[in-house]
Amino acid sequence: MRGGAIPILSWGTLLLILCIGNWVWNDKPVSGAAATAAVITVYAFGAALWLARRESIRRGPPGPASEPESVPEASVAAVVIGLSVGCALFGLAWSKFLLYFGAAMLVLSLARLVIELRSERSTRQRTAADRERR
Amino acid sequence: MSVASARTARVPRMTGWLGATVSTDHKRMGLTLGVCSLFFFLLGGVFALLMRTQLAQPDMQFVSDNSYNQLFSMHGSTMIYLFVTPMAIALALYLVPLQIGAVGLSAARLALAGLWTWLCGGLVMQQGWFASGGAGRDGWSSYAPLSNGTNTPGVGQDLWVIGVILAAAGMTVIAACVLATVARRRAPGMSLLRMPVFTWTALVSVLMVVSAFPILVFAMVLLYIDRHGGHIYTGFAGAIDYQDLFWFFGHPVVYVMFFPYLGAAAETIAVCSNKRWFGYIPFVASIMAFAALSMAVWSHHMYVTGGVTNQYFAFTSTLLLVPAGIEYFDAVATLIGGSIVLRTSMLFALAFFIQFLIGGLSGIFVASPVLDYQAYGTYIVVAHFHYTLFAGSIFGFFAGVYHWFPKFTGALLRESLGKLQLVLMVIGTNLTFFPMFFLGNDGMPRRISRYPTHPGWGTLNLLESVGAGVIALGVLIFLVNVVVSLRRRVVAGDDPWLGHTLEWATSSPPPPLNFERPLPPIRSYAPLLDPRQEGSTAEARGAR
Repeated sequence: MRGGAIPILSWGTLLLILCIGNWVWNDKPVSGAAATAAVITVYAFGAALWLARRESIRRGPPGPASEPESVPEASVAAVVIGLSVGCALFGLAWSKFLLYFGAAMLVLSLARLVIELRSERSTRQRTAADRERR
Repeated sequence: MSVASARTARVPRMTGWLGATVSTDHKRMGLTLGVCSLFFFLLGGVFALLMRTQLAQPDMQFVSDNSYNQLFSMHGSTMIYLFVTPMAIALALYLVPLQIGAVGLSAARLALAGLWTWLCGGLVMQQGWFASGGAGRDGWSSYAPLSNGTNTPGVGQDLWVIGVILAAAGMTVIAACVLATVARRRAPGMSLLRMPVFTWTALVSVLMVVSAFPILVFAMVLLYIDRHGGHIYTGFAGAIDYQDLFWFFGHPVVYVMFFPYLGAAAETIAVCSNKRWFGYIPFVASIMAFAALSMAVWSHHMYVTGGVTNQYFAFTSTLLLVPAGIEYFDAVATLIGGSIVLRTSMLFALAFFIQFLIGGLSGIFVASPVLDYQAYGTYIVVAHFHYTLFAGSIFGFFAGVYHWFPKFTGALLRESLGKLQLVLMVIGTNLTFFPMFFLGNDGMPRRISRYPTHPGWGTLNLLESVGAGVIALGVLIFLVNVVVSLRRRVVAGDDPWLGHTLEWATSSPPPPLNFERPLPPIRSYAPLLDPRQEGSTAEARGAR
C-alpha cells in the first residue's frame, strides 16, 4: 500500500496541467468537460487510496502486511453479474424479455455476492484471530 | 504475509472448464481474457482477408458494398475493442501481480464480473451479423450523424453500440482492479521505483483506461439514445461533439494498445541481452508523460472539421516525439554491450521497435495539420495506424507470448516454427501495409469497396492482398506452434531465460497463490538479476 497513490496522483496532476492547457487554447465545453471528468476520476481513485491508508502517499518500499489479505478462489456471483448485465443490455436491442430476465438475474447475483463477501469477511476475521492467538 | 483464502463452504470447489469460468485467480482470468481475445483476433483476421479479397483487383464484386461496409467496421471494432486492447489488459492481468510479488488481484470478483461483461460485449457486437440488415457498418468510430437511427437503421448498429458499451465497461473494471493491485499489493521491498518495466507500462495503460474509457461509454449511451429519437447529436455542433467525446477515448486507446506491448518488448530485450533495462528512471518518467500527453492530442483526428484549435493539438502531438525518442534510446542502449541471444522473442521485439518506427515517423506527418489535410481519409492513414497497431503492437504481443509462454504453460514454444512465423509476418506485414502509403499518396480513399482501373492501383492492391494471405499463414504457423508445443511438451522449468523479474522466481505455471517459496530480496527493478551480477562481480574480484 505504501506509496500506491503517488503515481496516480502524479499522473492526475500531469493531466490537470494538460486539461488547463486544453481549456485555455481549445475552449470547447465538451472537450473541456471530458478532460475534467478524466482528471476527477484519477484524483478520486488516488483520494480513495489515501483515505483508506495514509501511508499510500508516503515514499519508500512497503513493509510486511499488518493484517491478513483475502484472496477469493472463485465467485459464481461475479460471473452471473457480468452475464446478467450483458443479457439486460442485449435485451434492449433484441427482446424486452431478456432485459427483465437480466435485471432479475442481476438482483439475485448481487444478493449472492453479499453472501460471498460476508463469508470472506468471516474467514479473514478467523485468520486474524488465529494469528493473534499464536 | 498471511493470506486468508476465501474458499468457504459457500462457494463449492469446481474444476476443469467450469472452475476456470468462475475462478478469481488473476492468472486464470488473464488466460481466459487472452484466449477469448485471440479468438476475436482470428475473427477480425477473417474479416480482413475478405476485405483484401474484394480489393485485390479493380471493380471486384466479391462482396456487396453493404457487406464491405460491415466488414471494415467489424474488422476495426473487433480488433480494437475485442483483441488488441483486451489482450494488453490480459497480459497486465496475468503478469502484474506476479511481477510485484502479490498473492492475488485486488477486487478479483469485480475483475471477473468485468471479464464476463466484456465477453458479453464481444458476443453482442458479433450478434449483429445475424440481424436483419447486418452488423454495424459505420466504421469503428461510428460517427454521428451517419450512425443515427435515420441514416443507419436496424438492430445491427444497436448491437454494435451495446457491444461497445459492454466491452468498454468490462475493460474499465478490469483495469481498475489492476490499478488497485499495483497500489495496494506490492510485496515488501517492492517500492514504486523497483517495479519492473512491464508493470510500469501496464500501470500507465490502466490509468488511461480508467480515465478515458468511461467517456466512450458515455458517448455510446448518448448515441443509443440519439438512435432512438433522443436527438443528442443533431446538427453540425452535435456531430463535432460526438467526435470530441469519441476521440477523447479513441486516441488514448492507441497507447493502451501500445504500452503493454512496449513493456513486453522491453523486458524481452533486457533478458535476451542479459542486461538490465537501460535508463529506467527516464523511461518511467517518459511513459508517464507519454500517457498524459496522449490524453491531450485527441483532436488531431479532427483537424479537417474546422471545429478544433489545430495549433494546440499539433503542438501536443509533436511533443509525443520526446518520450518516444527516450524509449528508443533506452532500447538501443540496452542492446549495446549486451550478450545478445537472438531467440524468437528477441527477434519479435526488435521487429516491434523497427516496424513501429515506420508508424511513428508517419505519425509525425499526420500530426501536422497541413499534411493531414492532404492525407486525411486516404490510405496513408490506414498505413500509419496499421504500422503502429499491427506492425508495432502485434509484434510486441508475439514477443511477449514467446517470452512468457513457458511461464503460462510450463512448456517451451518451438523456436524453428517461431522464426518461420516471424519471417512470414515481417514479409506479410510490409507487403500489406507499405504499398498503402503509395496508394494514399496517389489519392486512393479509405473505406471504399471498389476502385476504378487506375495506373498502379491494381498491382499495389494485389500485393497487399497477397501480403494479407502471408500474414494469415504466419498466424496459422503460430497456432500450429502452440498446439504442437502443448501436445509434445518440452518442459521449460521455472526460469528458462534467466529472467530478471519476480514471475521467474516461481514455478511454471505459477501455483494458485503465486509464490510457494519466499520471495528473493527486492533491491532493484531486476531482483533476480541482482544476485547473478553480484556473483559475477565477486568472481571477477576473486580472479584478480
